[in-house]
Amino acid sequence: MEFAATILILTCTYALLAAGVVILYKAGRVVNFAHGEIAVLGGYVFYSSGMVTGNSLWFAIFGATVFSIIVGIFVYMAIMRRVVGEPFYVAILLTIGLGVVFKSAIIVIWRATEVTIDFGVQPAIRLAGGATLSYMDVATVILTIVFFAALYIFFRFTHLGIQFRGTAENPLLASQRGVNVNFVLSLAWVIAVFAASLAGVLYGGRAFLSSESVTIGLAGLTAALVGGLDSLRGAVVGSFIVALAQYLTVRLISPVLSDALPFIIVLVVMSVRPWGLLGTLEELDRV
Amino acid sequence: MSKSNLLEVRQLEVVYHRVATAIQGVSLDVPDGAIVALVGTNGAGKTTTLRAISGFLPSEDVEITDGDVRFCGTRINGRLPDQLARRGIILVPERDKVFATLSAEDNLGFAGRRDGPITRARVLKYFPRLAERARHLAGYLSGGEKQMLAIGMALLCRPKLLLVDELSLGLAPIVVDDLMERLKRINQELGLSILLVEQNANAALAIANYGYVMESGRVVFYGSAAELRSHPDVQEFYLGGASHEAVKSYRDIKQYRRKRRWWG
Amino acid sequence: MAHRGSNLRISYLEGNKILPRPYQKVLVAIVVTGALLLPAASSTFFVHLIDLCFLAATGALGLTILTGFCGQISLGHAAFLAIGAFTTVIFSVHLKFPFLLVLPIAAVAGAIIGFVVGLPSLRFRGVYLAISTLAMHYAIVFLATSYQANFGTSASAGITIRDPNVFGFVMQGDTAWYYFLFIFLSLVTVACLNLGRTRPGRAWMAIRDRDIAAEALGVSLARYKLLAFMVSSTIASVSGSLMAYYTNVVTVERYTLDLAILYVAMIIVGGMGSVLGSILGAFFITLLPYAINSLFEFLPSSLRFSTTVFGVQVGAIGLCVILFLVFEPKGLAELWRRIETYFDRWPFRYRPLEATRR
Repeated sequence: MEFAATILILTCTYALLAAGVVILYKAGRVVNFAHGEIAVLGGYVFYSSGMVTGNSLWFAIFGATVFSIIVGIFVYMAIMRRVVGEPFYVAILLTIGLGVVFKSAIIVIWRATEVTIDFGVQPAIRLAGGATLSYMDVATVILTIVFFAALYIFFRFTHLGIQFRGTAENPLLASQRGVNVNFVLSLAWVIAVFAASLAGVLYGGRAFLSSESVTIGLAGLTAALVGGLDSLRGAVVGSFIVALAQYLTVRLISPVLSDALPFIIVLVVMSVRPWGLLGTLEELDRV
Repeated sequence: MSKSNLLEVRQLEVVYHRVATAIQGVSLDVPDGAIVALVGTNGAGKTTTLRAISGFLPSEDVEITDGDVRFCGTRINGRLPDQLARRGIILVPERDKVFATLSAEDNLGFAGRRDGPITRARVLKYFPRLAERARHLAGYLSGGEKQMLAIGMALLCRPKLLLVDELSLGLAPIVVDDLMERLKRINQELGLSILLVEQNANAALAIANYGYVMESGRVVFYGSAAELRSHPDVQEFYLGGASHEAVKSYRDIKQYRRKRRWWG
Repeated sequence: MAHRGSNLRISYLEGNKILPRPYQKVLVAIVVTGALLLPAASSTFFVHLIDLCFLAATGALGLTILTGFCGQISLGHAAFLAIGAFTTVIFSVHLKFPFLLVLPIAAVAGAIIGFVVGLPSLRFRGVYLAISTLAMHYAIVFLATSYQANFGTSASAGITIRDPNVFGFVMQGDTAWYYFLFIFLSLVTVACLNLGRTRPGRAWMAIRDRDIAAEALGVSLARYKLLAFMVSSTIASVSGSLMAYYTNVVTVERYTLDLAILYVAMIIVGGMGSVLGSILGAFFITLLPYAINSLFEFLPSSLRFSTTVFGVQVGAIGLCVILFLVFEPKGLAELWRRIETYFDRWPFRYRPLEATRR
């Protein structure tokens, strides 16, 4: 039971990150290597603001929203927008540079101290089989489910969501039909940063945050790759696979491999199905 | 700015990738409520002209280096496509004209403008087939249906000027005729001005009021549709030969034997 | 009379020359003389800095072959450096081989590993290739970590390497290393320049620009991609080996993903695809942290936290990458070319053809 709970929570964390990666890829064909840094930065920002206003989960969501609007719009409008249309590697290298800058911000502003986000003493939940779930664990799962449900409704049923999907497929045609492409791409970044910072805050609440935590971003990236860079469903599936494999490897083989393992999974999956388990084949030549 | 020209293009020059001049010195007018045809062979610069009128995305590395495009009297050079779309200039592109991953009804509702003289019901009256295929993914529609969907989508964007690029490509002649006929009806009933780019000059000149002929990036001839239809050079090079003379042998219509002279 | 510009060539033969104009030869002579005289006129610390720059430059040249010439995005450069370092450990510490034998062995080890790491490039392109190089990085680091863990109790701070002994001359001290590294860097630079202007270089650039077209023209993708990986990792491996000898210590913690990103930053800042750029970029990125450190000297010591300084150093590198990618994608090499051309064309103004100024 504890095994299932751990896997579930890890899957949710990775799924939130992978969702952001997939959205950014679908919207702008950008593979964001800075996702982990954004997540951890979001966590740290919440930590600081929480010290002032008191930590509550609702404030976390509100704070993540504000953070993601500011950072998402800034990153897109000031930086990523300028390299639209250039070869794919420019955007990748740019996100790598961004990741370095965000990481340095963490080091400079918070002296890279380890922080744990304290949401106050909350009841733990006992499950059958003797496992205990903390408040944060449950919050993680619920928030992830709510987030994905909201995404589904947004993309499937709202007008803006449909315009978003159209812009992702063909930005030129969308623009010719009156859609402001810059707005849609900024929105993509806002959503992705929101998901990442939510993941960061939750992770900081369950475990701790430090400048080294940014490696979870790479796990999220690999989860997205395994599932298919253009599939949100794939993000969930990929996260589950990566979480499961990581857990088993750490428990049964060697803890040192836990960093490397997501990449080994990616290598294996890519050797047989490079476009990911649920991705579309045509996307392969886009990068 | 003369009488009631909806669109005035003067001496337009467009350069791709900062080195390749696609069109030069192109001038044309679209009077309010008229159908204007722009004909010419492949690579003549017709699509570039339409794209220049309807706007380029910054990522495409294209630039209007000279000339003016005036819409309702305002100079609109270099604006983004969505800005021009909101002014009422709507392009139906040649390729990728619908969102293949969205359903037909999502495509129609894409622009989301509820106000305007053309309602969704009206569009479905022009193209009833779309109502039948509403739930299907646009990518799976037939060529003719895609074209209908593309025009329908464009009509729902509150267009003042409809630019149609290569309507007939890949479609059976009977479908082409049908679509042209519907375009004519739309023009007459809604008063919508249309600029029609076509390789199939016959079909285009059948419904147009005026026509321009483009070659190698320049306008080489213009006039009313009737004038174009009766011009011997246009007939020979674009309409499949002089209709009033019996063609004696293949040698008579070999184009390379005769230089195109566009004066007189 | 056609006045040939510095970077404006009017014939293919001329375009293939490394230094077509007399003034360029003079410049190079001045730089070389200056470099040879430098140790006499500077502090040991400064010579040490330049030594680090030389080492970084050789590593950067290795990455330029792979990413700059051949266009294969690689995030695994730190792993290649690690291969060189650990090969040095195995052969110099365990087997007590002499320096002059260890270097070629490191080169061979690099070539073999380069071949292995290059195999995914036959199947993947773009971001998928970058991910596979990341995977290789972690795999190699894992092996190195296990090796170091098994090494013994003394390895907690790293494995010690003794100074190399070349025919009785013990290479220690920054100045001796300085001349050795300078000569080594010069050799590698000339090698890379020559590779760039002969068949492999042309093939690589064709692959970089349009690999499908290159293949259609008869360039064997498999052979040249693997060759790029092998040459790159050979150079990097030797560089890593020299770094091990220079610093006298090898520890696996040094070979992080951040180190790979550092080398990528070097070639971005210097200018992707340019040999001169790699050297300029290596110097820039290596010296930047020290420059920032000096800047901090001006601030009151209350602000001079080591983590803050470190953070700013890291951030500056990231910021440089972003700024160069957005505003000057061809890097420092392009800046140099512009200066060159300005003086060359003077008093005429020179506006580069719009299309080439991407």
